[in-house]
Amino acid sequence: MTIQSINGCIGCGECVKSCPTDVLRLDADTGKAVIKYVADCQICHLCRMYCPVDAITISPEKTIPVVVSWG
Amino acid sequence: MQVNSKQSIIISALLIFIVLPLLLFYLADVPSRTFLKDSISILTILSFSLMLQQFFLTRLYTKTSQSFKLSQISTIHKTLGYIILPVFLLHPFLLVAPRFFEAGVKPLDALIIMLTSFESLGVVLGLIAWGLMFLLGITAIFRYQLVKKFSINYKAWRLFHGSLTILFMSLASWHAIDLGRHINLSMAVFMIVFVLSGSVLFSWNYVFKSEKLTGAKR
Repeated sequence: MTIQSINGCIGCGECVKSCPTDVLRLDADTGKAVIKYVADCQICHLCRMYCPVDAITISPEKTIPVVVSWG
Repeated sequence: MQVNSKQSIIISALLIFIVLPLLLFYLADVPSRTFLKDSISILTILSFSLMLQQFFLTRLYTKTSQSFKLSQISTIHKTLGYIILPVFLLHPFLLVAPRFFEAGVKPLDALIIMLTSFESLGVVLGLIAWGLMFLLGITAIFRYQLVKKFSINYKAWRLFHGSLTILFMSLASWHAIDLGRHINLSMAVFMIVFVLSGSVLFSWNYVFKSEKLTGAKR
């Protein structure tokens, strides 16, 4: 998993708004953020950076491979 | 080495209200964060735990009141209260403080978003608990003036202080269980057990054998 955990979410929806690939959604029942489409996560860290209560932890082992152009 | 009753109370208090919460903190299956963030978490957990201890640092708990002088218990109770109060009052600000050193949302913006997320029950409970803690602190600091101004019995003030503490601790525990990062089943049980036992201790003494403590005649 790229997003390791979401602990202490207050359901403000900032992570949902900041995610460029729609990985996160607010759960209809609890009103808290849930990881919906984990495979789409690009590990951009925007959700973590914009969470006001620092609820999101991104797995430190997962990194984006560096893309090097040919020639 | 012979351990007397005073030493055994001090050792058990240290083990239950400092060592145990720290152990639960380290055993919780939560990813560790920066030193600053983890320090703030530990500070908050220890303050909460010492707040739970306050129930037993009163004349109501006979085990302590028989082993120590009431003036000693009162001094420790007051000192702990004055240490815990600023931690709880600063709690929302301490949560966003690490944002000063990170990219992303600014600390003030994070604070505003956090305090205006009224859809979250945990946030609403936290705001009410913060208000109650403020009231608890103010009424404790100015207790002599309040007793004089409203011409109430000092024992009646103690009843008010205890009732307000139970209300505050119940809401604060609910808030912590709902939103706390390090709250797992064992930490939740720890909180609930001591809030309940503190409430029972208080109610038992003030409601069921009230006359001596409250001055109220039934």
